[in-house]
Amino acid sequence: MQFDDQGRVNKSKKRAVFNQPEAKNRVELFRHLPQYEHGSQLTDLESKFLELDSMHPAVYKVGVQYLAGDVTGGNARCIAMLRAFQEVINDYSTPPGKTLVRDLTAKISSYVSFLIECRPLSMSMGNAIRFQKSRIAKLPLTLSETEAKAALCNDIDRFINEKIILADKVIVRHAATKVRDGDVLLTYGSSCVVEMILLYAHELGKQFRVVVVDSRPKHEGQALLRRLLAKGLSCTYTHINAVSYIMHEVTRVFLGASSVLSNGTTYSRVGTACVAMVAHAFRVPVLICCEAYKFHERVQLDSICSNELGDSNDIARVPGRPDVNSMDNRTNEKNLQFLNLMYDATPSEYVSMIITDYGMIPPTSVPVIVREYRREYLLI
Amino acid sequence: MDFQVVVLAGGTSKKLVPLVSKEVPKALLPVANRPVLSYVLEQLELSNIKDLIVVVEGADAALCVGGWISAAYVDRLHVEVATVPEDVGTAGALRAIAHHLTAKDVLVVSGDLVSDVPPGAVTAAHRRHDAVVTAMICSVPVSGLSEAGSSGAKDKTKKPGRYNIIGMDPTKQFLLHIATGAELEKDTRIRKSILRAVGQMDIRADLMDAHMYAFNRSVLQEVLDQKDKFQSLKQDVLPYLVRSQLKSEILINGAPQGQQAKENGNDKVSYRILANASTPSFHELYALGPNGSAPVRRTHKCCVYIASNSKYCVRLNSIQAFMDINRDVIGEANHLSGYNFSAQNNIIHPSAELGSKTTVGPHCMLGEGSQMGDKCSVKRSVIGRHCRIGSNVKVVNSVVMNHVTIGDGCSIQGSVICSNAQLQERVALKDCQVGLGYVVSAGCEYKGESLARKEK
Repeated sequence: MQFDDQGRVNKSKKRAVFNQPEAKNRVELFRHLPQYEHGSQLTDLESKFLELDSMHPAVYKVGVQYLAGDVTGGNARCIAMLRAFQEVINDYSTPPGKTLVRDLTAKISSYVSFLIECRPLSMSMGNAIRFQKSRIAKLPLTLSETEAKAALCNDIDRFINEKIILADKVIVRHAATKVRDGDVLLTYGSSCVVEMILLYAHELGKQFRVVVVDSRPKHEGQALLRRLLAKGLSCTYTHINAVSYIMHEVTRVFLGASSVLSNGTTYSRVGTACVAMVAHAFRVPVLICCEAYKFHERVQLDSICSNELGDSNDIARVPGRPDVNSMDNRTNEKNLQFLNLMYDATPSEYVSMIITDYGMIPPTSVPVIVREYRREYLLI
Repeated sequence: MDFQVVVLAGGTSKKLVPLVSKEVPKALLPVANRPVLSYVLEQLELSNIKDLIVVVEGADAALCVGGWISAAYVDRLHVEVATVPEDVGTAGALRAIAHHLTAKDVLVVSGDLVSDVPPGAVTAAHRRHDAVVTAMICSVPVSGLSEAGSSGAKDKTKKPGRYNIIGMDPTKQFLLHIATGAELEKDTRIRKSILRAVGQMDIRADLMDAHMYAFNRSVLQEVLDQKDKFQSLKQDVLPYLVRSQLKSEILINGAPQGQQAKENGNDKVSYRILANASTPSFHELYALGPNGSAPVRRTHKCCVYIASNSKYCVRLNSIQAFMDINRDVIGEANHLSGYNFSAQNNIIHPSAELGSKTTVGPHCMLGEGSQMGDKCSVKRSVIGRHCRIGSNVKVVNSVVMNHVTIGDGCSIQGSVICSNAQLQERVALKDCQVGLGYVVSAGCEYKGESLARKEK
């Protein structure tokens, strides 16, 4: 939904589960994206906890975790959501006079709109929900309620195992062949697949060095750095302003993705495009590691038409440094607008190869996988 | 939402004699002409809670409370009143009703808490962190008026039992240390392991435990069963759970936490993806073995919810607190009282009669059917229903309950006069408490005394 359409925004506010005040000072170019005042959202949602009778507690917990930023990363969010849906299905009982298929689909839709209110869905989550709904719709009518519930929970388990966990294992095996002794590998932010690749290659005994590039305001690379150091890898840590400085010693770049679109564009954390561009300029191969369930048939040419806006206070303030906080508390000035983009789009020219669970493919082969293997969803 | 609410309404508390008696247990003491228990019940009703358990000590008190609740809340709430023997303490009261508790989490609220903090916020914080206990903390209320110190002399020493020492982590989400009033005279001891694990602890003495706790039910039942010497939630159970949070001896959900079997590798991988996605709290970091391997130590989390300064939150556990709450509910926190204030900022019931030249100042309340004589003056006081007040009476900063007769020329300052009491002419009371049905003879002057009828 485009958020500059006032009529539809008002309609969705009436159905909203909790009240979110919109941010006052928004950048004109991004008016079609939702942006809310982050300060009061969590307290508002928490105070409504006991009043939300229709909400399953597991879904509520996942929503609060999204809103508070306790769970980040495409795979983790997807797994958390699917596990919550498993609990919903286990606790579900068909009300009299309704069919399981229609009622459960309606319930899941309402929970999904609650999760969207907490934090907009990532494309991987959208695919997972579409899979879930198609499985519910395809339930044979002869099944009893307990059998149907067991079948659905089984499907969710299979989805998580085959599309995420097994896919990650395959990606790790493929990518480890691309790491040679003496390599200097660069990664940006914190992607769970890239972390698995680095740890696996290290276990295989390959000698390499890792450069972790990080950026404000989230500093996601620091958690990755801590875990890599705990396992004994030799790491370098730098911020994105120095990426062109360090790129001359790098031999390969491994990046994660939130999604890969049909024109080969990689949609991932803001800053990835920058790193890929610099690597391309230095003729360093860029490898994107992404599970196939995150592929999407959409085509996006820029980072503007679809994105997510974060909290503007995060960029106005530097935590722990009160001396540089001159921007703080200025979010309501008329001449000043803060823009905290969360995602960006990396064009396919900068990407050398995409490593998926279907193999190592060039970016132009993404629409082929979407076309050929998407049907497989329905045949599981 | 799988939460059960238990309201601990106490019985006849010793600290509030002579205000409480057999007919008026602590839970039914009127604050702004409404029983104090009604504030808690109304807050719970607003949060859409329909079933609750009210625990009362003593059979007589239980009858009174039960009778009032069924009259007032007959269609709105489904309340089960449980009676426990007297003097078992809050933990003992919960032990007695433990078989009634079936939900996953239990919210325990003290019946004498007057506040407008939504209980949903405490329960949400509890669920978000999967905590074992979540306590609500509020800032210490400003007590008493400076000229009318109830104990007379200015108290240089801290009032024990009112203040807490609370230690929290820098993000103000986890409770690391809690010490209640009695231990304040001695030193307070802090666990070094907790300090080392968390790195930085903020210790505050200006916060108070508001006695609204959210417990994980199985943990609460286990602690109450194992430690049968524990009498009080606030002084025994909560500090025990906070102290042992990094060396957990309790089993969560019937299985020791660190040994939850991860059957196959797939579960382990998805668990690791989820664990890596979120910043680990210091509990998880502490529980890990060397080099960040699998959890070797069992920990549990104690969370805290800090009520914001704009919310009102006070407990009625002393006579001074009773006067303060009455003053606040018709004064600053008047949104709690639920009444509409008149233009002069006071509440006068339409059927009350005022004599000529009688003034009722702002922040006052006059109940139904009360009659005041001529030339009276009422300032910052609460007067109950059906009172007969003579002429030339001055009532300042006081609470007068229902059916009281006050003769002419009386002067009442900073006092509490319970129901059915009778004050004859020219009585002067300053900082006194007059018990139920007591008759103060004419011309007496009392200062700082508590007058009560002898129990037959």
